[in-house]
Amino acid sequence: MSTRLPWIIKYRPKKVAEVVDQDNAKKQFIPWIKAWIEGKKQEKKAALLYGPAGCGKTSLVEATAKEFGLELIEMNASDFRTREAIERIAKVAATKYSLFGFRSKIILLDEIDGLNAIADRGALSAVLDLIEATTHPIVLTANDPWDPKLRSLRDKCLLIAFRRLPKRAVILMLKRICESEKLICEYNALSLIADYAEGDLRSAINDLQNVASISKHITLEVTKPILARRDRQYTPFEALRSLFFSKYAWQAKKAVTSADIDYETMMLWIAENLPYQYTDPEDLWRAYEALARADVYLGRVKRTQNWDLLAYVFDLMGAGVALARRKTKFKWVKYSFPQKILLLAKTRGQREIRDAIAKVLAGALHISSIIAKREVLPFLRIIFNENPEYAARIALGLNLTESMIKFLTPKRYREVLRELAKLKKTA
Amino acid sequence: MASVEVELLWAEKYRPKTLDEIVNQEEIVRRLKQFVKSRNMPHCLFAGPPGTGKTTAALALAHDLYGSGYARYVLELNASDARGIDVIRTTVKEFARSVVPGPIPFKIIILDEADNMTADAQQALRRTMELFTSTCRFILIANYPSKIIEPIQSRTAFFRFTPLKKEDVVARLKWIADQENVKYDMEALETIFELSEGDMRRAINILQAASALGRVTVEAVYKVIGAAHPTEVREMIKAALAGRFTEAREKLRALMINYGLSGVDVVKALHREIFSAELKIPEELKVIIADYLGEVQYRLAEGADDEIQLSALIARLAMLGKRLRV
Repeated sequence: MSTRLPWIIKYRPKKVAEVVDQDNAKKQFIPWIKAWIEGKKQEKKAALLYGPAGCGKTSLVEATAKEFGLELIEMNASDFRTREAIERIAKVAATKYSLFGFRSKIILLDEIDGLNAIADRGALSAVLDLIEATTHPIVLTANDPWDPKLRSLRDKCLLIAFRRLPKRAVILMLKRICESEKLICEYNALSLIADYAEGDLRSAINDLQNVASISKHITLEVTKPILARRDRQYTPFEALRSLFFSKYAWQAKKAVTSADIDYETMMLWIAENLPYQYTDPEDLWRAYEALARADVYLGRVKRTQNWDLLAYVFDLMGAGVALARRKTKFKWVKYSFPQKILLLAKTRGQREIRDAIAKVLAGALHISSIIAKREVLPFLRIIFNENPEYAARIALGLNLTESMIKFLTPKRYREVLRELAKLKKTA
Repeated sequence: MASVEVELLWAEKYRPKTLDEIVNQEEIVRRLKQFVKSRNMPHCLFAGPPGTGKTTAALALAHDLYGSGYARYVLELNASDARGIDVIRTTVKEFARSVVPGPIPFKIIILDEADNMTADAQQALRRTMELFTSTCRFILIANYPSKIIEPIQSRTAFFRFTPLKKEDVVARLKWIADQENVKYDMEALETIFELSEGDMRRAINILQAASALGRVTVEAVYKVIGAAHPTEVREMIKAALAGRFTEAREKLRALMINYGLSGVDVVKALHREIFSAELKIPEELKVIIADYLGEVQYRLAEGADDEIQLSALIARLAMLGKRLRV
């Protein structure tokens, strides 16, 4: 299992110039920040960066902080849902000094439109108060700035638009990553990834890494089946990643319900990949226990047809699994397809032969197939492995086929068949 | 073809054909002979542990009632193979419809593993039994009579089969071995009895498998038992306790796919292994593990997914193993 960094983190821009495209946004944002650093009085103390997901809003803020040596105080929508949380930042925002001496700061409130206007009403007004009191630049990001609940905020902010990234810009970035990762890539494949991403560079990079985790050659053939599953929903790979990356119960539940596979299959994906992601035994045990409970609830749903209970299935397979992680650090691992499904398909032929033998035995011995498999098959195997001549006589008596004999003794079936031919000759 | 030395499975070859040949369960045999004498019988419930002669007694009764061509008067069904009560009902209906001329005015339906049926299915079965009482007699066979619903119990004559005595099993094994010209140590036959826990079918299967290796010695018997219990079970426990999760899971998959074990089979095999002398783990840990095995088996019986539940079990063993070391 490789334990590399997610590429969206590894290839995060470190300088403003490295932020892909968005020249207009930079032209507005950088002078505004510079003015702050120079201590000029600002007309607007907050900036609202808006635009579609994955087009570089947060990246630009992070790159700016790095380039100008500013301390970045970052909060995600889910962190500042309460008035107290925001007032805590407000205190930081009101002081000029940080732990590291005099240093300017940027306060970033990410995904401000994630706030629920009603449930988090106190939070929204706290943000307004924060903008009023701050001595540092406040940056907000949102996908949709025209959301009615943000109206009062909009008036206080410098609005900076980010545009959907053009396809060529996405491809260019993917190409750079391929070079740096020493991947051999087909232009068509990158183009397909860019098409699917619809201007969302983050999802394009994630897709690229998913494809790369399967093959070092990024060809159209490898890429297509992985992307084809995605129709504005998560592939199982993405769903797993966002599940294991979840810090909050709601995130985890969203991750498992937005996968484009049914929840039973999703459970198998989680079961398969848990041990790769959670290496601490206690974490792993907690996670499996949650998953096993989810499975129990699913059984009850199916048995009683009480679909209300499905909510608990998602609680446990999502939040239960994600929050089980206490000691293990999140790391990038390569996820695998559930082996159970693969093995069942691969061994179907074998199981059919086994069931056919069990049926023969059940008929001959007046027992059920289950008893035949459990009580008789093991002993028959011993005879077939140890004594081909004797085995042949039994095979004749039970009228076993060649494939059945092969199943009973993969090592010595040729000998048994030879003996069987001899017996038939003398008959 | 009969002249060719075709080998049968001894469990069937040496199954008593008539009530007279049954050497055990004297009380039961005496009552069944009364049915033969009066040429009539009620619905019956044969209950008792596996390998104590329930199916044998039912077939022998049929033989004594109808003679050697008894097969056409008997329908054998297995509740765990027949798919649902509807299948059983239609099969019974088909079978009951055709009247076979003869001195006995009814036919026999043997329903094995009846205790594997749900209570609902048993209710439906009870109605079927009543419907065809004029032309058919049912012999229900069960390991656990308590799992048969009250209305059926009250409509059947109850026969309790008891575990076979050591001297009877050993004498039977000795007799079979002599018939087959197999060389053996008496000690080995006694070992077979100990390991088969009064289950005659299992005892005969072990004897036949051991005889395929040559002289039946105590060693050969243990070799057979060892081979019949996959080593993966112990390896799986060891890997799990040592914290090697993926290795343990591979063993688990090998057990389920190569050996065709169900999830419940694996749990039972683990249970046996936990308490065996070969596995060196602290005594109190055995109890903790057994407790969880019980929980897993219950969940599986409720229809839970074996891969998920058994993975959870492995994870728990790994966690316990870690706590044990620190």
